[in-house]
Amino acid sequence: MAFDHRPHAAEIVPEETVVQFEHVHKYFGRLHVLNDINLRVCKNEVLVVIGPSGSGKSTLLRSINHLEKINSGRLLVNGHLIGYREVNGKLLEAPEKEIAAQRMNVGMVFQRFNLFPHLTALENIIEAPLVVRHTPRDQAIAEGEHLLERVGLSDKRDSYPNKLSGGQQQRIAIARALAMKPLLMLFDEPTSALDPEMIGEVLEVMKELAGEMTMIVVSHEMGFSRAAADRIIFMDEGRIIEDTTPDELYSNPREERTKAFLSKILH
Amino acid sequence: MYQFDWEVFWQYLNPFTALQNPLIRDGLIVTIVVSILAQLLGVILGLFAALGKTSRFMPLKFLDTAFGEALSGKRLAYELLESVAGFAPLKLVADVYVWYFRGTPLLVQMMLLFFGLGVTHIFDFPDIVIGSIVIKGAIQAGFLALGINEGAYMAEIVRAGIEAIDTGQMEAAKSLGMTYGTAMRRIVLPQAAKVIIPPLGNEFNNMMKTTSLMSVISAADLFFGFTQVNARLFQPFEIFIAASLYYLTLTTIWDFFQRMIESSLGERKATDQPVGFFQRVLGTAPQVRAGGH
Repeated sequence: MAFDHRPHAAEIVPEETVVQFEHVHKYFGRLHVLNDINLRVCKNEVLVVIGPSGSGKSTLLRSINHLEKINSGRLLVNGHLIGYREVNGKLLEAPEKEIAAQRMNVGMVFQRFNLFPHLTALENIIEAPLVVRHTPRDQAIAEGEHLLERVGLSDKRDSYPNKLSGGQQQRIAIARALAMKPLLMLFDEPTSALDPEMIGEVLEVMKELAGEMTMIVVSHEMGFSRAAADRIIFMDEGRIIEDTTPDELYSNPREERTKAFLSKILH
Repeated sequence: MYQFDWEVFWQYLNPFTALQNPLIRDGLIVTIVVSILAQLLGVILGLFAALGKTSRFMPLKFLDTAFGEALSGKRLAYELLESVAGFAPLKLVADVYVWYFRGTPLLVQMMLLFFGLGVTHIFDFPDIVIGSIVIKGAIQAGFLALGINEGAYMAEIVRAGIEAIDTGQMEAAKSLGMTYGTAMRRIVLPQAAKVIIPPLGNEFNNMMKTTSLMSVISAADLFFGFTQVNARLFQPFEIFIAASLYYLTLTTIWDFFQRMIESSLGERKATDQPVGFFQRVLGTAPQVRAGGH
């Protein structure tokens, strides 16, 4: 495998699986949103998911931290079933505390940021370490300040979210997720709600992160995919249609559906 | 033509003379203290009822996973299973509580609580003695009825406050590893408070006036004091105008506090006009909207 577009990236560890979907199905009423999903993501791999709206890409992402429940199949994060326990071959939903503990390891960044408006930038970042991980306050603040520096927003330490631009809010949201020291980061259309001039600053932060950890990103930003992704999957009607490298998919799509979709988003 | 008795009116309006009458003095204290405590009880009950109403706690949900597949072919059996598995006991309790106490008159609830429980000896409301203060059973019953009734109304207000908060907030909190309870306490309720406080102020305004219903179970509140005075003098026009002005004073003082609290919740915009004294009193001042998010 060649990753020359990511010269300083941490090595992908193919023998270490972080996320594994095994025949996962999910229905919203009669709608089959996830239809027999099989997918394996390795340590330090960066996977981009694209597809038309309603194709199940967000549901796929959200089921990884059990914000969506799956109806059948097995979904493992770091070798453990997420959100469920297996009892006599049947999946029973795990107790809330267990699910919460599993979510600590999975960072998530949302399309609409979802920063906590009653807390400052720094407080947003240290809230979960303080109340969930019970990190000592001094340590949480020191780490929080370090994360602010990393996303280039040290000067916004004490600003409330409504005083920040969309791009700044999303960078704080990334820092907030990183503060829990997750094994894996999920990004659900992180730049779709941003004004065009702010997309770059968020992608910059994500690109830097891509060299260091496992990421699954739902995004149609071709620039990001080409620069930072190891793999890209195209989804349609709840299925994975194509699973390849970004260069291959964008320049040489195999399936008709992929071609039709790309011609729409690339104008 | 009716001769208005200014002397009696002034005697019972002027606090320096009126409050010398122990019925009115103690009644005023009872009205204020019961209003505050009953509102407090209402807020606490309302909070729990609202959490119950929004609760998705379904202890029988496991039946779904256990039998869902086996019954998936049989439509009626499956729907029955779904309704049993979807049984949410906390929501049921909260719904019934709000339904009953919002759907029946407070006066009836108060009578039922005091006389009903008394006659059956389920609870006799014995006087509580704390040092030199005696808290009569009627006052305890009045406080309880007012608080429990208020809780049903507060439940709807708190629920509306919780539901006004974007569901993305709960999702973000959960994605950071918080449990539902932690997320509610640390993330959702602090934001909901901004939505809840303005109607809460109106509820308290209402509460101070509604305490006067206690007099029907002979709880010696402010209104009871004035009725006793009237029973002796029989000058209802003068005495009840004076009584009404006491309540008006209480609610007006509260209006001041409410405006202070509400304006401290939202930041004032630079364009806001200064608010004059009479505008404040009469409530014609432009409302300051709580800061958005």
